[in-house]
Amino acid sequence: MFRATWRSLLARKLRLLLTAGSIVLGVGFVAGTYVLTDTMNAAFEELFARAASGADLVVRSRQAFEDIAAGPGTGATEERRPIPEALLEEIASVPGVEIAAGDVSGAASIVDPDSDEVLGGLGPPTIGTNWTALADAVLTVREGRPPDGPGEVAIDAGSARTGEIGIGDRVPILTGTGREVFEVVGILGFGPADNLGGATLAVFDTETAQRLLDKEGVYDTITVKAEEDVDPVALRAAIQARLPKGLETVSSTDVADENAQALREGLGFFRTALLVFAAVALFVGGFLILNTFSIIVAQRTRELALLRTLGATRAQVLGSVVVEAAIVGVLASAVGVGAGVGIAIGLRGLLGAFGIDLPTTAIQLEPRTVVVSIAVGLGVTILAAVLPARHAARVAPLQALRDTAAEASGSLARRALLGGAAALAGVGALAVGLFGSPSNPAVVVGVGAALTFAGVAVWSPFLARPVAGALGAPFERRSVPARLGRENARRNPRRTAATASALMIGLGLVSMVAILAASLKASLDEALRKTLKADLTLSTTSFTPFSPAVARRVAALPEVGAVGTFRQAGFKVDGDTSFLTGLDPSTVEAVTSLGVSAGSLADLRGDAIAVASDVATERGWSVGDRVPAAFPSVGERPLRIVAIYDEDRLVGDYVVPLETYEDLYVEQLDAFVLVRAAEGVATDEARRAVEAAVVGFPNVDVQDQAAFREKQAAFIDQLLGLVTALLMMAIVIALFGIVNTLGLSIYERTRELGLLRAVGMSRAQVRRMIRWEAVIIAVFGALLGLAVGIGFGWALRRALEPEGVTRLALPAAQLGAYLAAAALAGVLAAVWPARRASRLDVLASIAYE
Amino acid sequence: MTVAITRAAARAASVRKVYGRGDAAVEALRDVTVAFGEGEFTAIMGPSGSGKSTLLHCLAGLDRPTSGQVFIGDVDLTTLSDRALTDLRRDRVGFVFQAFNLIPTLSAEENITLPVDIAGRKVDRSWFDRIVDTVGLRDRLHHRPAELSGGQQQRVAAARALVSRPTIVFADEPTGNLDSRSGEELLGFLRSAVDEHGQTIVMVTHDARAASHADRVVFLADGDVVGEMREPTTERVLDHLKSLGA
Repeated sequence: MFRATWRSLLARKLRLLLTAGSIVLGVGFVAGTYVLTDTMNAAFEELFARAASGADLVVRSRQAFEDIAAGPGTGATEERRPIPEALLEEIASVPGVEIAAGDVSGAASIVDPDSDEVLGGLGPPTIGTNWTALADAVLTVREGRPPDGPGEVAIDAGSARTGEIGIGDRVPILTGTGREVFEVVGILGFGPADNLGGATLAVFDTETAQRLLDKEGVYDTITVKAEEDVDPVALRAAIQARLPKGLETVSSTDVADENAQALREGLGFFRTALLVFAAVALFVGGFLILNTFSIIVAQRTRELALLRTLGATRAQVLGSVVVEAAIVGVLASAVGVGAGVGIAIGLRGLLGAFGIDLPTTAIQLEPRTVVVSIAVGLGVTILAAVLPARHAARVAPLQALRDTAAEASGSLARRALLGGAAALAGVGALAVGLFGSPSNPAVVVGVGAALTFAGVAVWSPFLARPVAGALGAPFERRSVPARLGRENARRNPRRTAATASALMIGLGLVSMVAILAASLKASLDEALRKTLKADLTLSTTSFTPFSPAVARRVAALPEVGAVGTFRQAGFKVDGDTSFLTGLDPSTVEAVTSLGVSAGSLADLRGDAIAVASDVATERGWSVGDRVPAAFPSVGERPLRIVAIYDEDRLVGDYVVPLETYEDLYVEQLDAFVLVRAAEGVATDEARRAVEAAVVGFPNVDVQDQAAFREKQAAFIDQLLGLVTALLMMAIVIALFGIVNTLGLSIYERTRELGLLRAVGMSRAQVRRMIRWEAVIIAVFGALLGLAVGIGFGWALRRALEPEGVTRLALPAAQLGAYLAAAALAGVLAAVWPARRASRLDVLASIAYE
Repeated sequence: MTVAITRAAARAASVRKVYGRGDAAVEALRDVTVAFGEGEFTAIMGPSGSGKSTLLHCLAGLDRPTSGQVFIGDVDLTTLSDRALTDLRRDRVGFVFQAFNLIPTLSAEENITLPVDIAGRKVDRSWFDRIVDTVGLRDRLHHRPAELSGGQQQRVAAARALVSRPTIVFADEPTGNLDSRSGEELLGFLRSAVDEHGQTIVMVTHDARAASHADRVVFLADGDVVGEMREPTTERVLDHLKSLGA
C-alpha cells in the first residue's frame, strides 16, 4: 500500500511541487518570523551583555513603576529623575570602587551636512550621550579617537556610512537645546555592529553632553566598576548605604536583563504580528491542499476503486491519501524552514524599505523553530487532506468499471447547512470579539474571521455557476475561447469555488485593511478639521519629539500670533497605563477647539487636569473630581479635574498645563507645535517667516492645515502598505492554487483539448480559453473577498467607533484596483497551464485508449 | 455513376511514416501513393496495424509523414507551419472520430458551428438548416452532449464536419461505438452528403458493411496499398479481406 502511495506521488511531480509550494511559503513565513526575531534578540542580548561586562553596578533613581506607556512618537522606556553630579565623588570614594562614571543621555539627531536631512529617526531612536571611562566596554573606536572638548563629537559607523561622514567633517546636531555644529573626531562601532538596531548615536565629552541634553550638574545614571577581588554584592550594599532616598544600586547584569526583557516584549509583539500573517498564509495554503487532494482523489477514483477490488480496506485507502499528504507535508515543511532563513533576510529588507532598520548579526536557527515549523506544516497538510481522504475511502469497488471521474459529492442540502452554520458561527464570534468583552478578543475575532471565511467557502459553490456565468456573459458572444473558458469555469462549481475561496481570504483581508485605513483617514481628517484652528503645524516626519527651542524661536516672530506647545508622555490612571498631553492653557483656545463641555481650560493651573468626555463618562468623573494619577519619576500625584472636552483626536484623553508637565517629567521635548498667524498676516507670509526661523531644524516640517492632514494620512497609508505587503504572501499562495487547479483540469480535459485543436482551434485560442477560465475564477474569488472584506471592514469600523474611527469610508478606486489586479493575476496564473494546454500533442490527445 | 475521374480532393504521394528510431523503428506506412477524387466516398480498410489510421492522420494534417507529400486540393501539407495546418484543418477539413467528438460544455448547435465560430466567421444559416434537417437533429439543438444518445452525438459530429463546407471529410471508425441501427443512419447521412452535395469523404473502417456504403474501398496491409475495389458490397469486401489473409 505504501509503495502505491509513493509511486503516485512520484508520478505527479509537478502537482507535488505546486501543492508543496503553498506549504513551503506558509511554513517559510513561520520559520522566517522566528529566525528574524531570534536573530534580533540574539544581537541585542549580545550587545547588552557586552555593555554589562565592562561594569559591575549602576546607580540610578527609582521609578514608581516600570511599565511606562510611551507617548505617541516617544520611544522612551524609562523616565528617571537625574542624579546630582556631586554624588559621583562620593561613590568614587567608596572603598572597592575602581571607576565610577556619570552617564547622561537624551535625544540628539545627526544632520547630514550634504543634504541637510536628519539621519535615521524613522522608528529607532536618535541618541546623544557622553564618553566615559567605561564607555569602551560598549563602544569600539573604529577610526579617530573619543571626543574630548566642546566642539567634538564621535558618531556611530552606521550614520557615518549613510551620511558619508568622515573624520574631520563638521556636522550639525539637533538636541533639546537647539542646533550646534561639531567636528567629527571618531567613528564608533558596537563591537562588530555598525549601529544599535538602526538607532543613531552622537557621543560628546561629559560637559558638552550635559549642556546639550539640558542636564547641567546632573547625571542620569552612575556606572561603577569594582576593583578586582571585591565582592560586588558587598560593594553594592556599601554604595547603597551612602545614597539619599529615591536612588538605587543595581548590578549591571540586572540592567542588561531589564533591557533584554523590554526588548523581548517589544519583539514578542512584533513576532506575534508576523505570525498572524503567517497563519493567514497557512490557512490559505490549507485550502489549496484540500482542493488539490479533492481533485486528485476524483481523478484517481478508478485507481482507488481498483485497489478496493483487489482487497484494500477503506482504512488502507484513507491511510494511503493521508500518508501521501504527510510525505508532502514533511518535505515541504523541511524546505520551508530553509526558505524561512531566506524569508527572514527578505523581511529584514522589507522592513528596511519601510524605514525600520534592524541590526545585522549571524542568522539564528533554533531547534524550536525547526520543530514548530515542521509540526505546523505537517499539521495543516494532514488536516486539509483528511476530508478528501474520507471521500477516497468511500469509493466503491464498482466505480472501477465506470468511466467518469465525478467528484464524490455530499448532499447539497448538507453543504448549504454546514456552510451557513459555519458562517453564522463565525459572524457570531466576530460580533462577540468586536462588540462584547471576552477575555481574549483578538483570538475570538481571529477564530470568527476564519470560521466566516470557511463558511463562505463552503457556500461558494452555489454562487460559482451564476457568478461565473454572469462574469463571462458580456464576452461569450465575442469569441469561442471566451465562451469555452466561461463554461469550463462553470462546469465544476466546487472546484472553481474552492480555488476562488483561497483568493477570497487574501483579498478579503486586504480590502478590509484598505477600508479600515480609509475610514481612519476620513475620521482623522474630519476630527482635525473640527479641532485644528492653527494656521501652521510644526512636527517631525515620524512624529518623534523635537527641541523646545523651535517653539521659542517661532514665538519670537512678529508675524506669529499664538503659539501652542504640546508635549506627550505616558502615565498611569488607577493602575491603567495611558498618556497625557502637556499644553499651554493661555494659547490652547487660539490654536485648537477642544469642545469644552464642562469647566474651563483657563483653570488649568497647578495640579489640574482636563479629561476627555468619553473617559469622564466611562469613569463617572465630573469637574472637581480627583484623578488618581501616577508618574514614573515622581510617583503618585492626584490631579483635580477642571474641564471636560469632547475632541480628543489631537490631545488624547488627558491634558495638563505645561508648567505641571515640566514638573512631572524629566524629558522635555515638544511633540508638535501649533501656530496661529498674527492679526492681519497672511498664512503664506507667516509660513515663510516660520520656515526661515526653523531652517536649522531639518527634522521639523512646517505645514499648513491641509498639508498636516495629508501627512497624517500618509502615515496611515504607510502602515497600510506594510500590512498589504505582508498579506501578499496569502495572495501569492492563492495564485499557486489557481495554477494548480488549472493544471489538474487540463490534465483531465486532454481529449477535449485535442479535439478542439483537431477541428481547427489555434494554440493562441487554446491559451486564450485557459486565460478566460483563470480570470473568471480569480475575479470570482476577488468578488467574494471584496464582499467579505467590506463586511469585515464595516464591522471593525463600528467596533473602533469609541476609539475615534467615527466615519466609514469605502475606497472605491482602491477596491476597484484590487479587482483589476486580481483579474491580471488570473492572467499570470494562466501562463503556465495555458502554455501546457496549447502544446498538447493533438494526435496523442485524441487517441483512443 | 462517376465515369470521369475528377480532380483529386486529397492525395498522398510516396508517403512514408516511421515511428521510433534505429532498431526500434516501426514503418507504419511504406511508400503509399493514393488519391481521393472530388465528390467520392472512399473507405480505407485493412487489418489492425495496417497503417490505415496513420494514413488518415497524415492526410488530415494531424500527423506529418516522414517523407513524401500530402495534398489537400493543391496545398502541400508537408510544407505548412503548425499555424497554417491548424487553419487548414479548420477551414478545409472536417472530422468525425470514433468517440469523444463533442465538447461537453457546448450545446449541440454550438458544437456543430464550432469550426466556423473558431474561425470567427458567420454561419451560413441556410446551409446549417439543411444539414440539421438532414441529420434530423432539429429538436435536439439546445441539448448538451450528455443528454444525447451515442447515435445522436455522432450525427452532431457529422453535421459539424460538414458545416464549414470542407474540401474533404475524414471519418475515423465513425460507427465503431454505435449499434447497427444508429450506424446505418449515420452512414446513410454521409452517403447523402456525397450524393446531394458532392461532398468528398474518406472513412477508415474495419466493418465491411460500413465500407459497402462507399463508392470505393482502398485496402491497406503492412503499410502499403494492396488493392482497391469500386462499387463494393459487403460480401465482396469480406471476400477480398479473406484473400488478404486478415
